[in-house]
Amino acid sequence: MSPRILLLGLLCFSLSSAATDPQAVLRAIVDNQRGGSVRATLTLSVIRPERQTQYVLEVVSDGLERALIRVQAPPREAGQAFLRVGDNLQLYNPTLKRVLRLPPSGRSDSFLGSDLSYSDLSGRDLEQDYIPRVVAEDDGRIALELTPKPQAPTPYGKIVLQASKPGLVPQEVIYYDQRGQAVRKITFARFAQVNGRSFPTQTSVEDLLRSGYRTSLVYSNYRFGIPIPENCFTVRALEAGC
Amino acid sequence: MQTAPPSATLAVLARLAWRNLWRHRRRTGLLVLVVAYATLTTVLFWGMQDGFTLSLQTGNARFLSAPALIATQAYFEDPDPEHGLPSLDFLPRIAAQPGVRAAALRLEFPALIRSAYTAEGVRVRGVDPALEPQVSHIPTAIRAGRMLAKRGEVVLGQQLAERLDVRLGERVVLDTSALAGPQALGLQVVGLVHSGIAAVDRGVVLVHLEDARSLTGLSTATGVALDLPRGQEAHLAAALQALLPPDLRAYDLTRLLGGLSAAIGTKQSSTFFIGLIFSLFAALAVTSTVLVSVLERTREFGMMAALGLRPGGLALLVTLETVFATSLGWVLGLVLGYGLNFWMATQNVLGPIFASYGAAWEILGTGNEIYTAQSPLYALYAALTIALATFFSILIPARRVLALKPTEAMRTE
Repeated sequence: MSPRILLLGLLCFSLSSAATDPQAVLRAIVDNQRGGSVRATLTLSVIRPERQTQYVLEVVSDGLERALIRVQAPPREAGQAFLRVGDNLQLYNPTLKRVLRLPPSGRSDSFLGSDLSYSDLSGRDLEQDYIPRVVAEDDGRIALELTPKPQAPTPYGKIVLQASKPGLVPQEVIYYDQRGQAVRKITFARFAQVNGRSFPTQTSVEDLLRSGYRTSLVYSNYRFGIPIPENCFTVRALEAGC
Repeated sequence: MQTAPPSATLAVLARLAWRNLWRHRRRTGLLVLVVAYATLTTVLFWGMQDGFTLSLQTGNARFLSAPALIATQAYFEDPDPEHGLPSLDFLPRIAAQPGVRAAALRLEFPALIRSAYTAEGVRVRGVDPALEPQVSHIPTAIRAGRMLAKRGEVVLGQQLAERLDVRLGERVVLDTSALAGPQALGLQVVGLVHSGIAAVDRGVVLVHLEDARSLTGLSTATGVALDLPRGQEAHLAAALQALLPPDLRAYDLTRLLGGLSAAIGTKQSSTFFIGLIFSLFAALAVTSTVLVSVLERTREFGMMAALGLRPGGLALLVTLETVFATSLGWVLGLVLGYGLNFWMATQNVLGPIFASYGAAWEILGTGNEIYTAQSPLYALYAALTIALATFFSILIPARRVLALKPTEAMRTE
């Protein structure tokens, strides 16, 4: 075997390993899910068997662990704002004109009574708390099974994440309890191309234990990859906007 | 006619009364037995009552807190980890004190516990798994699984686990924010507590002390739970206070139980009234025996009156006979009552009996051990029966003797 052929073989092997490195795949999927820095309008629809509530939100995020969300509508909720910086969560209540610090549990609490949590909206908890494993892969799709790291702060038994190839675009995340029962499903759709990433502009969350409990989140007027001023992630911005 | 001085008359009547007791051995024996029985039951009643109250307090203290707890005054008023113990230098001194059988570190903090389905606010207790069973009944109330053995584990109240819908071997998440800022930890459920006490089964969350330290950022503890001999908690807590740094306090179980202890005290005062009624009925039983004795001896009293004993002297004779017989019964009852009480105060005789009532008994939180209490006061309470019996014998049989007509009495068959 000539040295040139051997070199080519080694190169092919290293490329194929990188493609199925579960940690790298997960990082790429989360990169797509977060989309980098963004300023956008969100329409949040909370669907319940007996009612449906719609919120209009303005979001500013650095695409990492910082996000500022302000409620624009309905009028009754308008002015409320949420600031997440890492694990710290703060809420501005316009009625009280006070900034309140939310407990750390707020990270996984229901956001505005929906089926979404703050962790769904920002942060990289999937990478931090889980060990990924490729469970299925073909030319068009890849499925990762995420199992919690020891003592990771997650109550789920596992998460199965589906992404399309190429590009590792997130399609579906199913959360399972520790008895193997699916309890929650997140579906992504309508992807925007942002600096080589496919960002899902439509997210749907379904509570699989309670029929008729669903939440949809739609991005509009979005601008990705723009510089976000540091003062957008301050208490002042929480009160007055950014 | 010359009359004897009252003291001489009394001495004669006392000798006569004492002799009369043994002339009517069967009647006297019956009277002594009635009083002995009343005394024995009075001593046992109070011994069991006080013992039960003490068991209720110590049992609840060992489920809800500890027999005694050393903490900062600030923590006692505002139980937040930021008011934890500034140092543990005092611990060897306390652990070496006579009467202190164990000193276990605890770190308690508020947190949110999450399962895959729901979340609840709880108060978490970080414990040393090796020492906690000595200061708490909770480890012995683990009905499924086991006590903590290492870090990364959690023991939950059974009702809390049901509400969270978690089972043994599954994971829950604790979120808290204290000195270390927001922290979260996933823990495996290894034990479920079923004590019968609602507050415990609904809310208990035990984690390893080191996990509690890493979650809160407090390197010491929020308190030291002490195992002290039953009934000596208040006395020893006061004695330990002198050995503590100025910013620390030793709280006994009445301070730790707060309102619950006050509620038990209220129940105690109502029981005193029940005890009084009990003594009253015992005294009436003695009086009725004396009355029957007087009715049977009408002819004898008539003859004594005919021989010159005045009605007042006859009444005094009957009263003295009652006092002597009841006193004998009282002494016999005290010996038997205190003996039985001592046995039940040193052996767990009552625990298994009451435990057979199952869940209905568990809810009181006495634990598996119930002992009687001992106090010299019980002899005094039993003497109340004698005082009442004497009073009634003056009131009824002695008055009957006073009204006796010797000529009619001597004709009585």
